[in-house]
Amino acid sequence: MNPEPAAAHTPSAEACESCALFRASQLKKLGVILEDWDHVIALAGNPNVGKSTVFNSLTGLRQHTGNWPGKTVTRAEGGFEYGGSRYKIVDLPGTYSLLSTSVDEEVARDFILFGQPDVTVVVADASRLERNLNLVLQILEITDRVVLCLNLMDEARRRGLELDARRLARDLGVPVVPAAARQREGIPELLAAISDVAEGRAICRPHRLRTESPVLSRAVTGLEEKVRAALPDLPNPRWVALRLLDGDERIAEALRSGELARLGSASASRAAASSAPGEMPEDGRETTREEGSA
Amino acid sequence: MPDPLVALLVGGGVLLCGILCIWPRGGILGLRRRLRRLSTRVLVEDALKHIADLEIKNQNASAQTVAGVLQISDGRTARLLADMEQRSLVSFHEGRLRLTSKGREYALHIIRTHRLYERYLADVTGLSHSEWHRRAEAIEHRLSPRETEALSLRLGHPTHDPHGDPIPTAAGEIGPQQGQPLTSLPVDQPARIVHLEDEPETSYAQLIAESLWPGMEVWVLERDPQRIRFLAGGEEHVLAPSLADSITVEPIAEEQARGPRCEPRLSSLKPGQKGIVCGLSLACRGNERRRLLDLGFVPSTPIQVEMVSPAGDPTAYLVRGTLIALRREQADLIHVRPAPETAEQTAAAAGTGDGTGPEASGAR
Amino acid sequence: MTDSPQSPSLASSASPALESLLDEARSLRWEVGTSFHEELIEAIYTDAARIADRAVRRPDRKPRFDIDRSIDRLLTSRLWGFPAMFLLFTLIFWITISGSNIPSGWLSYVLVDRLTPLLRSAADALSFPWWLRGFLVDGMYLATAWVVSVMLPPMAIFFPLFTLLEDFGYLPRVAFNLDRLFRKAGAHGKQALSMMMGYGCNAAGVVSTRIIDSPRERLIAIITNNFSLCNGRWPTQILIASLFIGSLVPAYIAGVVSALAVVGVVMLGVFLTFAVSWFLSRTVLRGEVSTFSLELPPYRPPRILQTIYTSLIDRTLIVLWRAVVFALPAGAVIWLISNIPIGGTSIAGHLVGILDPVGLLIGLNGVILLAYIVAIPANEIVIPTILMFTVLITGAQGVGAGAGVMFETDSETTLRSIFQSGGWTVLTAVNLMLFSLVHNPCSTTIYTIYKETGSWRWTAVATLLPVGMGVALTFFVTQVWRLAAGF
Repeated sequence: MNPEPAAAHTPSAEACESCALFRASQLKKLGVILEDWDHVIALAGNPNVGKSTVFNSLTGLRQHTGNWPGKTVTRAEGGFEYGGSRYKIVDLPGTYSLLSTSVDEEVARDFILFGQPDVTVVVADASRLERNLNLVLQILEITDRVVLCLNLMDEARRRGLELDARRLARDLGVPVVPAAARQREGIPELLAAISDVAEGRAICRPHRLRTESPVLSRAVTGLEEKVRAALPDLPNPRWVALRLLDGDERIAEALRSGELARLGSASASRAAASSAPGEMPEDGRETTREEGSA
Repeated sequence: MPDPLVALLVGGGVLLCGILCIWPRGGILGLRRRLRRLSTRVLVEDALKHIADLEIKNQNASAQTVAGVLQISDGRTARLLADMEQRSLVSFHEGRLRLTSKGREYALHIIRTHRLYERYLADVTGLSHSEWHRRAEAIEHRLSPRETEALSLRLGHPTHDPHGDPIPTAAGEIGPQQGQPLTSLPVDQPARIVHLEDEPETSYAQLIAESLWPGMEVWVLERDPQRIRFLAGGEEHVLAPSLADSITVEPIAEEQARGPRCEPRLSSLKPGQKGIVCGLSLACRGNERRRLLDLGFVPSTPIQVEMVSPAGDPTAYLVRGTLIALRREQADLIHVRPAPETAEQTAAAAGTGDGTGPEASGAR
Repeated sequence: MTDSPQSPSLASSASPALESLLDEARSLRWEVGTSFHEELIEAIYTDAARIADRAVRRPDRKPRFDIDRSIDRLLTSRLWGFPAMFLLFTLIFWITISGSNIPSGWLSYVLVDRLTPLLRSAADALSFPWWLRGFLVDGMYLATAWVVSVMLPPMAIFFPLFTLLEDFGYLPRVAFNLDRLFRKAGAHGKQALSMMMGYGCNAAGVVSTRIIDSPRERLIAIITNNFSLCNGRWPTQILIASLFIGSLVPAYIAGVVSALAVVGVVMLGVFLTFAVSWFLSRTVLRGEVSTFSLELPPYRPPRILQTIYTSLIDRTLIVLWRAVVFALPAGAVIWLISNIPIGGTSIAGHLVGILDPVGLLIGLNGVILLAYIVAIPANEIVIPTILMFTVLITGAQGVGAGAGVMFETDSETTLRSIFQSGGWTVLTAVNLMLFSLVHNPCSTTIYTIYKETGSWRWTAVATLLPVGMGVALTFFVTQVWRLAAGF
């Protein structure tokens, strides 16, 4: 799919068709206008990683952002237009995990699973990557259409941390975009990555969890096979197996009621409709800027 | 204008009445609850539960044990059992009191409801463990099978109650109670507590006061007929054998054990000290446990005491790059071992060229 | 009597393949044991640590100087932690109070003194009948103008200042410092912050309890927020204290004494917050889930302009809008009951007559009670309403602006003569101050509580508990006072 240069907004676009500035100018912030979108984006992340700032810089809205974990309590929605496509973006409540049963986590989990966003953008705090990867890995088990936004790069640099985004992208199997949303750094690259995954130009091969205990792996693998056999189209049989073993009745209920089966067929039809597979993300899409040189 | 003295008396009286009505234990509401306890249905169900309990333990119930547990007169017990026999819930077999299949099904429903509700109280509410049993005793007589099933579904069909007792399934199957009494455990054999007997209430309260929980590792240090001395949760406990009998343990392999090194609680570290998380105490349940895990208090996580509130509590810990404040009673539930100070220094000196930092090598 | 239970059969509409899958999962769960959840999380974290270590290069040497830790050492130190906190919040309150007087007076001059006559003459020019003019201008417009001019300036100053502290990252440290105090009352340290917001506006305070993630502690914070004396009640306290308490002592210490009286009321509010928190956590709310966790985020330089913008939009304007929505009908009701006569006396007159015995029993009077009932939408209009009703009932000449028209006056002698004609004593004043602290939240706050808790039950508790307490408190104060005066 070829992005149409949005000539209407960028009279001098020809001068620099590949630079970040040009791509950013393709962005049209739509605020709360949410009519006939082409793609739905979910915005997930730990509390207090600047998720709302990313949301605001994409949509032009002014959701309050406080330096205080758990500020966004309700789900916020906004829209933007980029590269000729219209996106609806849903800001999910900030959570540390998707495995517990708090209301926030259920909202976030259900949206990522049943809302079937075209792309799930996970915002992570670059200065505390390990902690944030906990959520990222859990989301990668649910969906493979993920873009990781390494926010707060400025803070990481201040602490002298150097992040290898390419390495991370290769390990996780999804595009990784370093950003500092407060300084509007990395937003154009984030938009490009979102649009690549949404339009099927970048195919993600996400990292899957490894379990060390043999009893556990045997149980998980066995059940995963059963799930795969029962619902061949399901994109995440392994995750469903994990949830069933953890006694997650919401998932068992979804299985019983056929909700998961519908999910599987929807995702299969989407896979068929999407264009030819693109490249692996690590040699394609993520930014080439040098990071962490501060 | 009324006389102020009269007004005061009347007002005070009204206030007193109000307080009396809603006071949790002694009030009118509490009284009603106690009266309900004495209804025949409740007695029947309690008797069934008692007989089933003994049957599971391969012991025999008799009219005397029933009277003792229900705390009613022998005459009333006899009438009660006769009534139960007539409704074919129990049968007398060579002087032994047995449950009929109908009686067993009924009893297992009561036990299932009791244990599920305890599990519910432990995981979903904020009530303290001292209240679980008492409340479950009341609720077990009130839920219909359908409601019990809904409760089980909501909890994700748990397999064990918070004391480690297996929960019977809706089909009436009950898993075996594994393990052996602590008193029969050999010295130096690591084992894990799988069950604490929650009746009678006084001995259970004593176990709780010793802060013993299912899931804890124990090592018997010394045993003689008067007392048993053992290590659990990083502390030394001394119990009378009669009390130690109500602790059921399951031996575990030496290499699976976390080891007696896993002693200190997080709360015992001083500011600036480092440690590595061994695990969370099983006393930490439900939301609280999940929250701590989500925040990164998982085994083999390095942790450092960063600062203490000027009021003395809570304390902020540096966990995976984030400052998290915990109260003392929470830090009590997290077991740590001292950080291998030297190992970390060598790792730091060796540099991080190969990408394996000290964090990654934190083996269990 | 008893039915023996039938074994419940799960109505299953699922295919046999799915059912066997679920059965398999269930039996596997017995096998993997109860620690599955933990082992899973541990596995995820181990993976995360491995991946993070490959991607992140840490500096070889730890930086000698860590700015965050240094700020923390100061702000949470044993020696400086509490004084620093005290100074910061004193500063914020001082800026708010002193800074809002000027724009408040200015708004009041424009909206009340200038615009009201203009609107009246406009209504006359359009040849509105007197009742329509009174209903629209004297009732609805004036009440709203009053609320806006009293409420807007302090909120527009207080909230941005508070938000700046929040953006900086200081507020979690306040919770960290004070948590021990709140824990003793069964509450969460973060409640300190929702209380602080409550001094600005209870509705905003209730919204700010969202930061408390433990259900029990959050409900406690919501229910007790009303004991933080809000911005709409400060003027009442100050006015009554200076008129009645200050006048009990020689003039040169009158100011100090009346200020102390107001501080005393605020302290009583703090005490009640703790007492009620303690009571609730041990009775009604005992079964609610309680967890504690407090993340102390890194300090970040606040972005001043954006903060002012968003806090104006998010907090000030929304709260103000709700207040306006509730003030409009209140103004209408107040005007109507003062102007519709039944048998020669206005409805207000009848109501005051009915409420008088109750009012006198708790040391207030019918007028005050009626004012609190009709002015439930906003505490700001309680004093103007009381003044208007008193003039209406006593028929005092030469003051007031007519039936149903709220007014206020700067002249202490006028005020005192109005109150005296209403039969006020020092006891009335003391009880009014107490009742102003301990009574139901305004309707904006009640509505907010409902929105936040989603439960009528908790909304009712949060509304009725303080009224009950207020009535009991004033009743006992009155009777003891009278008893003491009788001897």
